[in-house]
Amino acid sequence: MTVKFNNRDPVYVQVIRHFKEQIAKGYFEPGQEIPSRRELANQLKINPNTAQRAYKEMGEQGLIFTEGNMPSCITKDEAVLKSVREELIIEAVDLFLGSIKSIDVPLSEVLELVKKKHDAESGEAEELK
Amino acid sequence: MRNFLKLLNFEVNRFFKLYLILIGVIIVSQFIGAIVVSKGFMDRADQNQLSMSQNVKEYFSFNYFFDSEWFLLPVFFSIAMLMIYVFFIWYRDWFGKNTFIYRLLMLPTDRITIYFAKLATIMLLILGLVALQILLIPIEIQIVNSIIPTDLQSHFSFYHFSSFEIWGWMYPNTFTEFILIYGVGLIFVAVLFTAILIERSYGLKGIFFAIVYGMLSFGVFFVPIILNEFSNGYFYSLEVLLMIIVVSIIVLGSAILIANHLLKYKIRV
Amino acid sequence: MIEVKNVEKKYGRKRVLKGLSFTAEKGEITCLIGINGVGKTTIMKAIMALTPINSGEILIDGEKIRKESFEKITFIPDTITMLPQMKICDAFAFMADFYKNWDPQRAEELLQFFKLDSTERIANLSKGNMAKVNMILGLALDVDYLLMDEPFSGIDIFSREQIADVFTSHLIEDRGVIITTHEISDIEHLIDRAVLIDNGEVVKEFGVEEVREKEGKSVVDVMREVYRG
Repeated sequence: MTVKFNNRDPVYVQVIRHFKEQIAKGYFEPGQEIPSRRELANQLKINPNTAQRAYKEMGEQGLIFTEGNMPSCITKDEAVLKSVREELIIEAVDLFLGSIKSIDVPLSEVLELVKKKHDAESGEAEELK
Repeated sequence: MRNFLKLLNFEVNRFFKLYLILIGVIIVSQFIGAIVVSKGFMDRADQNQLSMSQNVKEYFSFNYFFDSEWFLLPVFFSIAMLMIYVFFIWYRDWFGKNTFIYRLLMLPTDRITIYFAKLATIMLLILGLVALQILLIPIEIQIVNSIIPTDLQSHFSFYHFSSFEIWGWMYPNTFTEFILIYGVGLIFVAVLFTAILIERSYGLKGIFFAIVYGMLSFGVFFVPIILNEFSNGYFYSLEVLLMIIVVSIIVLGSAILIANHLLKYKIRV
Repeated sequence: MIEVKNVEKKYGRKRVLKGLSFTAEKGEITCLIGINGVGKTTIMKAIMALTPINSGEILIDGEKIRKESFEKITFIPDTITMLPQMKICDAFAFMADFYKNWDPQRAEELLQFFKLDSTERIANLSKGNMAKVNMILGLALDVDYLLMDEPFSGIDIFSREQIADVFTSHLIEDRGVIITTHEISDIEHLIDRAVLIDNGEVVKEFGVEEVREKEGKSVVDVMREVYRG
């Protein structure tokens, strides 16, 4: 796991974001064990206190859970997982809308383009298989 | 106490290679000298046999050897080396690529232990060479005896083996004198060490204070003697001795106390 | 906790430290930031009683420094603190001899991590390797507080990465670390607190993540504000 951190956003926030992305993309399975705070700090090359903070927040947000002395795991709660996916999608949509807002173009045309591009890419992906 | 011994061991080991070289130089120079001087005499004796009469026969005096450069130069050289080391034993830890003084000052021990260890090291090095010389002299005498037959030798007395008075100081006759003389030596080195620490704590103006301190100690030390002189021998020698002991304690004590304070609160790396 | 309270220090007539105060907590990495010569190294030496202060107080866990403190706090200066003719194993033996808190296994572990040979003489080591050995002399001591002066200066980038690795490992965890460095942007994501020093005083002391959260600024951004503004 190598993540590039920027120095302006709190590192722990960036770590949580990274986890959310991994969950949304399916790299982290529900219930999957995650590295300990120490291991995470070492892998990501961050301060162990930051890793600690990130885990605390994620625990509070329900993204991860810890049973007693067992290692922490990704939540199995479908509702939470769904909302994570939604959150990221909404973020991407916001970003997208923000970029094209300044360009004067009707929404239907934009959506056409999106569909076309999407189909083209999935088509390529199919061919590669 | 344990840390003192560890540091003492460490300091002695640091100088050990050089020490062995010094010992080697002394042994080689003195042994060769014994041979050369003896042979030289024998050569002269052989020549004289032919030309001189019995009355002006030359007898070999051990002074020929013990006053020679072969014997004395390594001794002076060693004394010089040790005197330099009195300073170097401290300055070497500050200068050069290593900053070993950091490590010494960060050891979990009273910092005065460093001072004591270096002081004891110097004393041991001195006593070692003094002991070495005592051991060598009989051997050297044997070397001479193996070359020069005894009937060509004049009487040898261990008490007058050299024209130089210094030997009387290094090998005093009584134990009390030994303690006195080497005690003074110890105090001298201790005062020098404290002066060095003053310089290390205060820099340039430190050199000035160090010299003042040195002279003060020196002055205080001689008070009993001067007092006795000026009063035309008013005091019994036992009283003078007691006074000397008292000032010795004062001078040594203040050297140690000042050094302790400097090492704890004023020293700079 | 290390408390530096109102420390004044003069070199001759010049006031180098003018009532300087800050604290460093155990379990956090605190970085002293300032231009060359502002007095960062002097502060560290003062904490370790390696240089005297004119007034003020320095407390380690509430106490003034004593000989026992050297088993609780150690200093890694930017020069090696062992004799150059010693081999690395000799240096370790020396440490084991004098410090109860020396952990020989950890020293071995670090030696292997840094890929060093214990029979190598210190004088023959490259600058980067010497810095690593110096690190080991500090890290293999089971101390609560570590002071590191410019651990990255003059070191090649790979050695730097290795040393930075140490900061994210269990070797630093739970210890209080004070570090000074110029390469602040390299290690911004590793530190907990920053102490900006200028002109002998602390001009700003802050928690790094806090500032990111509340003001969206990096340490370098804050530095720019403070030193230019």
